[in-house]
Amino acid sequence: MDDSVADVSEHLDSSDNEEFTPGKVLQDIENAWLNEKFAPEILPHQSELVDCMLEQISHMEENMKKLKKGDIRLAIHKMEIDRIRFVIKSYLRTRLEKIEQYTIHILSEDDKKSPEESYLTPGERKFAKEYLANIETLFRTVALQHMPANFQAFEVDKLTVKPNLNSHVFLRVNKPVQGIIVPGTTNDEIDLTAGAQRLIQYQPIASLVKEGAVQLI
Amino acid sequence: MDPNEVEFLGEKQLVTIIPSFTFNQIHLISGSIGPFRAGLPTQVPIWLAVNLKQQQKCRIVGQEWMDAKLLIDVKDEEKTSKFFTKMPSDHYMDETLMLLGVAPEDIPQAEEIRTIVKDLWDIRMSKLRTSVDAFMKSDSAFAKLDHLTPMEINCIRPSLPHALDQRDRIQTCGSRPRDSQDTQRS
Repeated sequence: MDDSVADVSEHLDSSDNEEFTPGKVLQDIENAWLNEKFAPEILPHQSELVDCMLEQISHMEENMKKLKKGDIRLAIHKMEIDRIRFVIKSYLRTRLEKIEQYTIHILSEDDKKSPEESYLTPGERKFAKEYLANIETLFRTVALQHMPANFQAFEVDKLTVKPNLNSHVFLRVNKPVQGIIVPGTTNDEIDLTAGAQRLIQYQPIASLVKEGAVQLI
Repeated sequence: MDPNEVEFLGEKQLVTIIPSFTFNQIHLISGSIGPFRAGLPTQVPIWLAVNLKQQQKCRIVGQEWMDAKLLIDVKDEEKTSKFFTKMPSDHYMDETLMLLGVAPEDIPQAEEIRTIVKDLWDIRMSKLRTSVDAFMKSDSAFAKLDHLTPMEINCIRPSLPHALDQRDRIQTCGSRPRDSQDTQRS
């Protein structure tokens, strides 16, 4: 039990030389969760982090089986795992909600990207496609087939819902960035200093969120 | 975001406890805690401290800043400053509620601390409301929110960004043909 965590972090170190402890992965997932929660658009998926953490959890659960009933560690580890599961579930659900809301837009954006740089995981992509197919079937069986022939087309363009990228978000700055131009009446240029907190439109800082230079809060 | 979720983030903060049991180091995924020696202080995350306290397995020492004198100074500074001052903890409100809620008898001057923190919160919230009002009238495109804690930001989350989004929509409506496909969701 005691060397369980050391084992996994060693395994991680070999794949990546940066400081990459389970605690760091957990922090990264929490950050991804908050970013996903507050960003108006869907962000690049973090399935590596999620898979890594799920592996950690099952590893931990394996080890917990070896503990005797009534061991104080059982309850503590279980509590921690429940907390981590909550974050992961909430993160994945937020993404699914966005996919359901902006299905057509997300799929068409995703088609322009190569599989490596796709924002969706293969699973999410499958979900999006099936969701769209189901909507279309529903529209056809419930309404469209009863329409006059020239109104029967399923007009994807008119059904597209796009996220409002100009919506305002709260952020905290991780790495200093200079000269951000805020579109709008004044065309102000602003500098972001590390640790500062701002309320600003999402559009000019969208790329900074994806790079990790700023954290949405 | 649900206030419970902000509290969830606050529960990660460490707090000093005095355990009433003895145990080796425990390796959690988020990091190791312990070793626990009965009677000797050690640091654990708040979620664990609360749980151990409920099982009566520890005494909570409280945060260093949970001191009536220090908090009165913080409060006075907040009162005189035009801007938001830095709080002793990013989750001062949630930490106070959680720790004093579960262990009021462990922390000295619990009642005083509770009152001062509540005052502090009220002062800051009224300052926040005034500045939000001024900001909305100022026509500026971004706002500085330095030293605001997550719980305070969460309090203005549904209304302020949404109001700004709507202001922008009205402004852009006037200047260019409306993009009917944008959603209104904030």
